[in-house]
Amino acid sequence: MSDRDVVIVEGVRTPFVKAGGALKNVHAADLGKTALKELIAKTNLDVKLVEEVVIGNAGNPVDAVNISRVVALGAGLPLATSAHTVHRNCASALESISSGYERIKSGTMDVVVAGGTESMSQMPLLMGSAFTKLFEKLGAAKTVGQRLSILGSLLKADVKQIMDMMTTAPLAETPYKPIIGVMKGLTDPFVGINMGQTAEILAKEFGLSREEQDLFALSSHEKSVKAIQSGRFKEETTPVFLPPQYSEVVSDDIGPRDGQTLGALAKLKPFFDKATGTITAGNSCPITDGAAMVLLMSREKAKELGYKPIASIRSYGFAGLEPERMGLGPALATPLALKRAKLSMKDIGLVELNEAFSAQVLACMKAFDSDQFAQARLGQSNRIGAIAPEILNVNGGAIALGHPVGATGTRLVVTLMKEMQHRNVQFGLATLCIGGGQGGAMILEREA
Amino acid sequence: MSVQESIRLSYQGEIALLEFDLIGEKVNKLNTPIMKRLHEVLEEVRTSKARVLIIRSLKQKIFIAGADIEEIKSMTKRDEFEKAVSEGQSIINMIEDLPMPTIASIHGACMGGGCELILACDYRIASDDSSTRIGLPETKLGLIPGFGGCVRLPRVVGVQAALEIILQGKTVVAPKALKMGLIDKCVHQGILDIETMKWANEIIAQGAHKRRKVFQPKNMMNKVLESFLGRPVVFSKARESVLTTTHGHYPAPLRAVDVISKTYGMADRAEALRIECEGFCDLATTDVSRNLIHLFFLMEMVKKQTGLPETSTASAKPVEHLGILGAGTMGGGIAYVAADKGVHVRMKDINNDALARGFKHAYDLWAKLLKRRSINKFEFQQKIDLVTGGLDFAGFGQMDVVIEAIVEDMEIKKKVIAETAKHMRPDAIIATNTSSLSVTEMSKGHPNPAQFAGMHFFNPVHKMPLVEVIRGEQTSDTVVATIFELSKKMGKMPVVVKDGPGFLVNRLLLPYMAEAAFLLNEGMSIEVVDTAYVKEFGMPMGPFALMDEVGLDVCIKVLRIFKKALGARIEMAPCMEALEKTGRLGRKNGKGFYTYNEKGDRSSVDQAVYADLGLKAPHNPLTTKECLERGLFMMINECSAALYEDRIVETPHEVDLAMIMGTGFPAFRGGLLKYADSIGSEYIVDQLESYAVSKGARLKPQNPLRNMAKTKRKFYS
Repeated sequence: MSDRDVVIVEGVRTPFVKAGGALKNVHAADLGKTALKELIAKTNLDVKLVEEVVIGNAGNPVDAVNISRVVALGAGLPLATSAHTVHRNCASALESISSGYERIKSGTMDVVVAGGTESMSQMPLLMGSAFTKLFEKLGAAKTVGQRLSILGSLLKADVKQIMDMMTTAPLAETPYKPIIGVMKGLTDPFVGINMGQTAEILAKEFGLSREEQDLFALSSHEKSVKAIQSGRFKEETTPVFLPPQYSEVVSDDIGPRDGQTLGALAKLKPFFDKATGTITAGNSCPITDGAAMVLLMSREKAKELGYKPIASIRSYGFAGLEPERMGLGPALATPLALKRAKLSMKDIGLVELNEAFSAQVLACMKAFDSDQFAQARLGQSNRIGAIAPEILNVNGGAIALGHPVGATGTRLVVTLMKEMQHRNVQFGLATLCIGGGQGGAMILEREA
Repeated sequence: MSVQESIRLSYQGEIALLEFDLIGEKVNKLNTPIMKRLHEVLEEVRTSKARVLIIRSLKQKIFIAGADIEEIKSMTKRDEFEKAVSEGQSIINMIEDLPMPTIASIHGACMGGGCELILACDYRIASDDSSTRIGLPETKLGLIPGFGGCVRLPRVVGVQAALEIILQGKTVVAPKALKMGLIDKCVHQGILDIETMKWANEIIAQGAHKRRKVFQPKNMMNKVLESFLGRPVVFSKARESVLTTTHGHYPAPLRAVDVISKTYGMADRAEALRIECEGFCDLATTDVSRNLIHLFFLMEMVKKQTGLPETSTASAKPVEHLGILGAGTMGGGIAYVAADKGVHVRMKDINNDALARGFKHAYDLWAKLLKRRSINKFEFQQKIDLVTGGLDFAGFGQMDVVIEAIVEDMEIKKKVIAETAKHMRPDAIIATNTSSLSVTEMSKGHPNPAQFAGMHFFNPVHKMPLVEVIRGEQTSDTVVATIFELSKKMGKMPVVVKDGPGFLVNRLLLPYMAEAAFLLNEGMSIEVVDTAYVKEFGMPMGPFALMDEVGLDVCIKVLRIFKKALGARIEMAPCMEALEKTGRLGRKNGKGFYTYNEKGDRSSVDQAVYADLGLKAPHNPLTTKECLERGLFMMINECSAALYEDRIVETPHEVDLAMIMGTGFPAFRGGLLKYADSIGSEYIVDQLESYAVSKGARLKPQNPLRNMAKTKRKFYS
C-alpha cells in the first residue's frame, strides 16, 4: 500500500438502452451529465477538488467535440476545472480511467473524474460524396444563374438518390446515398471489414459452433435479467428523466430480454456471412446509448477526505494485433496488465470481459487457456490461464446490456468493482477488445 | 454632496465632455441642485467653442437612474411639481437647443429623466452590456415622463414602440434599443469611449451638423399605423388594453396615451411640453401615485435590509447548494426560482414519478422563457442542468440550505427533519415551507433548533414575490440573515415574521375568506362578491376564487387551527361546515366555488354550489360596500392584533409590503394599512361595531384598533 495508490471512490452509470429506444433523444453530453451529477451527489464531492475530467467518447458529436468539457460544466464542475476527451474506440472509457490513473500515480494530481458517454442513436447520417460536392459548389457560386444551375443538379441528384435506394443493397455505398455514421464507425478503416466480419473470422478459426455462441448469448441475457430483477444493478445505475414531458423515467437497462430462449436465438439468420456464417444479431452486442463515471483519487487524498474507496487500480495494459482479429484483444492486453500487477490469472477472482460478440468471448477463453497461443502470440511458453466460466461476466454482459462504444470501459470497471465487494474477491480483471485491432485490460484490487 | 463636482465639464480639442458622477452617491440621479448645476454647465458649453458635446457617466453601471424619488416624495403641492417639472423641461430643452451637436454615450441604467436627457441629444451610442437598460418607468410610480419623454420618445421610435415603453414603464436592453431606433450605435463596453470619440470626430469632419431624428416606419402595416389615419386606432387600442388590465384603477397610463395623442407631431414644443407638465402634475398629486411611490420605497427598504435588527453583527452565509424535500408544486417552484438564479438544486422525493413532476414544473417555466426568447437554448440547458434529484440523501452533505416542502403534518415533518439533519453538515440550515404549522414546535425535530427557520413561499412560487422568513424562538441570527439573503437571491421580497398561527399573510387572509363565507350564507352571490373585490377594490381575485386556489379542504383545516389559537374572533359560517361534505376541493380537483376546464383554468361560478351547501338561490341583500368593508376590515382588525399585540412584524411597512407581494393586494392603494389610514381608524371601528351588532361578535373591533380610534392614530405615524 502506498499513498500514491490510485483508488476508485465510487462509480455510477446510466441504464444502458438499445439505440433508437427510450434514450434516443438524449444527447451524449446529457447522458454523461446524468451519471456525473449522481456520482458527485453520491460522494458528496466538493467539486472544487476535481483537477481533471477525462471522458471517453467515440462518436464525437459535432456540437460537443470536446464532450468532456460539456459534461463537466453541465454537471456543475467549476469553470476553472480542466476537462478533455479521450478516444480509443471501444476502450475510450477504459483509456479515460488509465489516463486518470497515470495522472494520480505520478503525483501530478489527486482527484480525477473519469468515464465515458455515448449516444449511438444520435450518430449522424452523412451526405453522400455527390451531394457534398454539390453543396461545396453552391457555397462558392457567385451569380444567381450559377446558383440556379446547381440547384437543378441537386434535384437530379435527389432523383438518383431515390433510385439508388431502391436498386442497391441497404448497406451498399453509392455517391448518392446517405452514409450511416454508425456503420462507418463499425467498419475497420485499415482492412475495410465490418466488426461482425472480424467475429466471423474468429468463429471459423476457433471452430466455434452457432449453438455454443447462442448458448453464451442466452446466458448473458439470463444473468443480466437476474441482476436487474434482484436490484443488483440499482447499486450502480441512476435513472434518466426524459424532457420535455418527463412522462417516462428510464431506471433499468433496456436490452436484456426476460424469457429469451435458445429457440428464438436459433431462428435468427447470420448477418455478415449469409452462407456459412454463425454471427447473428442475437449473439452480437446491440448498438446502445449510455454513460458511466468513476471518481478516482490518490489513496492519501481519499483518506484525508474520509472516503472509503471501493477498489484500487493495480495495473492496466493496452496491446495491438491484426485489425481483422480485434476480438482477441483481451488475450494480448491481459498478460501485460497481469505482468505489471505482478499477478497471474490464478489470482483473478472475477472477470468482466466485454461481450462484443459471443464468438469473440469464446475465442478469448480458448486463447487464454492455450499454450500454443501463448507461444505463438505472446512469446511465453505457458498459457495465460483459463477463465473459469463461473467468474466471467457474472451479471451478464454487452450481448444483453449493449455496448455504447465510448462508455463500456468504465461500465466494466464499475460493475466489476461492485461485484468484487459482494463476493469478497481480492483481484478482478476488466478487459475488452477494441475495434481497429487492440485490447485493453485493467486489474483492480478490492478495498476493505 | 458637492454639486459642483458632480457634473464636470472638460475639453479635448473641439470636443466638450460633460461627465455625471454624483459625489457621495452610488447612482447618478436628477434633483433640483443637480439640475441647477446642469443648467450652469450647459450655459458654459453653449458659449464655448466646442463643436461637439459628449454626455457620459463615470459610474460603474449607471448612466442616469432617473429623477430623485425622495425629492418627488417630499413634494406635495401642485405648484411645487409644476415648478420642478417646467424648470427641468427647460434645462433638457437647452441640450436640444445647443448650437453644437450632442452625443449621449450610455453605459448602465438610463431611466426616466436619464432617458429623457438622451432623447434631447442629437446622437445616441450605448454599450451592449446587460446593465445598459434604457426606458421610462414613470407609470410604475403613477406618473408620466415629465421632462419631455412623452413628447420626444414617440418622435424618435414611433408611436407604437413609445406607447409600449411608456404605458408599461418598460426598459429595454441596448440591442433592442438599437433595433427600435432609440439609439444609433451599440458597441462593447470596452470600446464605448473610443467609439464615441471616433464618432464625435466624424461628426465634426462632416460639418458638425445638428440632427433631430424622426422615426421612419419600415413596412406597409407600420406606415399605416404610424400615419394620421392609423394613429387613432393605435391610441384607442392602447386605452382599451390599459383598461382591461387595470380596471381603471391606474390613471397614469391612460393619461400618457392622452398626452401622446395630443402632442404627437405638434410643432409648438412649448405647448406640447405644457400639456405633458399638466398631465404630470395632475397625476403627481393623486393618492395612487403617492401610494405607488410608497411601495417603491418599501421595495428599496428590503434591498437594504438584512433581516436582522441593526444591533446584530451576524451576516448571511453564501448558499450555492440547495436541497428541496418534496418535488410537488411548491418544491418544483422553489427549484425553479433558485436554479434560475444559478443555485445548484437537488430535490428529494419518495419516487421517480414525483421527481419527474418537479423537473417538469421547472422545465416548463424555462421553456416559456425560451419560447419568448428571454433566454437562448444554451442558457435554457444551463438552467435545467442545475436541477437534479434523487430518492435518497445523496448530495445532502454538500447542501448549504435544505427547504422542506412535504406534507403539512407536524409529526411527519419533525421526523423527516431529524433524518435529514443527519445527512447534512452541522452548520447547514433546514427551512420549512409550512404555511400553517408552528416553526418553533417543528424546530424541535432538528438536533440544533438554532439552524432551523421557516421560509414560506406563496403559490405560484414563480409569480408571487413574497417570502415570509419565520424566525423560530431559537433560530440564530446567522440563519435568519442567510434565509433572508437567499430569498433576495431568488428574486423574492423577504419579510421577517415571528412564529404564530398563519404567520402574517395567512393570518390576515383567513378572517377575510371566512367572512366571505358569511356573505354567502346571508344570500350574496359568489359573482357579486368576487366582482366587487376585483373591479371595485382592485384585488387580483375575489375571496371565493382565492379559497379555490388555496384549496377548500386546506381553508377548513386552517380555519379550525385558527379558531383554536385565536378564539372567538374566528368563526366558521355554516356553509363552510357544509362544504366539507361536498367533496369540493377547489382548483386542485377542478371543483370548488368555480368550475375549471381541462387545462385547470377557472371558468365560471358553479351554480350548483348554492344547493350543495344548503343555500337558497342568492338574492344579494347586501350592498357591495358592506361586502367589501366586512372582508377588508376583518383583515385590518386582525392586523392590529398581529402588529401591536403579538408583534408578528415590527412595522406597518412590512405588513403592506407582505400584502402587496404575497396576496396581490392592490398596489395603487399602497397596501392594507395605507388603505386603512386613508379611511381612518375611527370609521373602521364604528363600522365594525355596527356590523358586530347585526352580523356577529366576530366583527368586534380588537383592542389595539379601538385604542387607535380613540386617540385618532394612524398605522403610519
